[in-house]
Amino acid sequence: MNGLLSIWPRDWSREQRSTATIALSGVLLVVFLWGVARPLSALPEPIGPAALEFAGGTRVTVELTLVAGLSGIAIGLLAAVAKLAPFAPIRWAAGLYIWAIRGTPLLVQVLFVFLALPLVVPLQLSDFTSAAVALAVNVGAYNAEAIRAGIQAIPKGQTEASRALGLSPLQTSVFVVWPQALKIALPPLVNNIVALLKDSSLAYVIGVVELSNIGNRVQAATFQPVPVFVTTASIYLVLTTVLTQISGAIEARLDIEQRGR
Amino acid sequence: MSLVHPHSPGETRAPLIEAALVNKSFGTAHVLRDVSTRFYQGEVAVIIGASGSGKSTFLRTLNRLEKHDSGRIVVDGIELTDDVKNLDAVRREVGMVFQQFNLFPHLTVTENVSLAPRRVRKTPRAESKRHALELLARVGLQDHVNKHPHQLSGGQQQRVAIARALAMNPKVLLFDEPTSALDPEMINEVLDVMKDLARSGMTMIAVTHEMRFAREAGDRILFFDEGRILQEAPPQQFFDEQRNPRIRAFLGQIAH
Repeated sequence: MNGLLSIWPRDWSREQRSTATIALSGVLLVVFLWGVARPLSALPEPIGPAALEFAGGTRVTVELTLVAGLSGIAIGLLAAVAKLAPFAPIRWAAGLYIWAIRGTPLLVQVLFVFLALPLVVPLQLSDFTSAAVALAVNVGAYNAEAIRAGIQAIPKGQTEASRALGLSPLQTSVFVVWPQALKIALPPLVNNIVALLKDSSLAYVIGVVELSNIGNRVQAATFQPVPVFVTTASIYLVLTTVLTQISGAIEARLDIEQRGR
Repeated sequence: MSLVHPHSPGETRAPLIEAALVNKSFGTAHVLRDVSTRFYQGEVAVIIGASGSGKSTFLRTLNRLEKHDSGRIVVDGIELTDDVKNLDAVRREVGMVFQQFNLFPHLTVTENVSLAPRRVRKTPRAESKRHALELLARVGLQDHVNKHPHQLSGGQQQRVAIARALAMNPKVLLFDEPTSALDPEMINEVLDVMKDLARSGMTMIAVTHEMRFAREAGDRILFFDEGRILQEAPPQQFFDEQRNPRIRAFLGQIAH
């Protein structure tokens, strides 16, 4: 853990530090989302008058990241398990998905879900939902590789011991393999989620009113790109920092052998 | 140790495990060749042989961690096949202790022991924990119950693994070279636990290089050579009246 709480207070245990960091970061995030308009509105032109828009855009960005991030982890786990399935066609399907998603630009995927998908299937999603779907499917493919690597890093003896005790294949995955794989997969997963938070700015092209979109609108109305984009970037920076603090705390909690100290 | 030798000719009880003409190949390597033997309730069978003789592979076929290619293996009345239900039923009754311990590193010592009873037997949490603590006391680890495996020595980890296997109340325990990964000074603490188990009447099949254990705790020695059982004999006869030159040579190498 790289946060302040990793060194102080000195007599706290690893778990206490972890819990405190997660709680504090969560509170910080909520306070930030609720209250960011206030300090922004105190700023001079062009930020002050647009404070509410910035705050609203920030909320949409966080919502998009949360929805796509959580779905993306579920998709990633599913695709990782499929990639390791004993039945070859399931492996091929998962491989095809990962290959196609990682080999095409996210921008094209966002546009595809919003503009092309309704022509293929009779389903018109809102701009927000389209962006969330595209982002979830995209980050899911990257998560799949991170999780697969984590699962494959678990020694075969773990599965053998679990199966020899009579646990079923599913129980072996849930209670023995996945918890250990998560620890290994966490750093790349966090990378993916941080990338997702930043990539959510691409939702702007299909009209989602998220943070980058607001920045661009305010800039277009005021012709003052420097303060506008410094503000926009600063908000992203706060969000990614909170995210890495939380993940660092989770990592510290899973680091039972305390290798990270 | 049983007083009556369980593998005397004319044995009329049904065997707990029966292997008949078991064959197994890894690619072109024919590692088990027509292996046939029976294991009885309460018996302590010790399997020895050079590395590569097929002894570990044979042990691992008994709970189907390795599939046999042909022949029959019947455990507690259930034949080992691809039938998953049967397999899970067999594995509940057959405990296994591994060379590399294979404890679950993310769980505490107590959780390692209580996991299978809770998830497989659906034993309530409090009861499975109580049983786990009892077993951990039995293997002398009552002071380490809340630690994680990495905080324990190799000998302590292997004793946890034994307690974990016992937690399912298995009818037979398989030991796959349980002391081979241990530092010399830790071997005895594990062997002592195994001897205690043998004395308590536990059915055990152990692959090991510990000849003293084989002699003191074993009821029967099985000597594997090139995928076959070259000889089965009671320990006294096996060690003291050995006539087979190949086995004599093996014992000579092990002795120093």
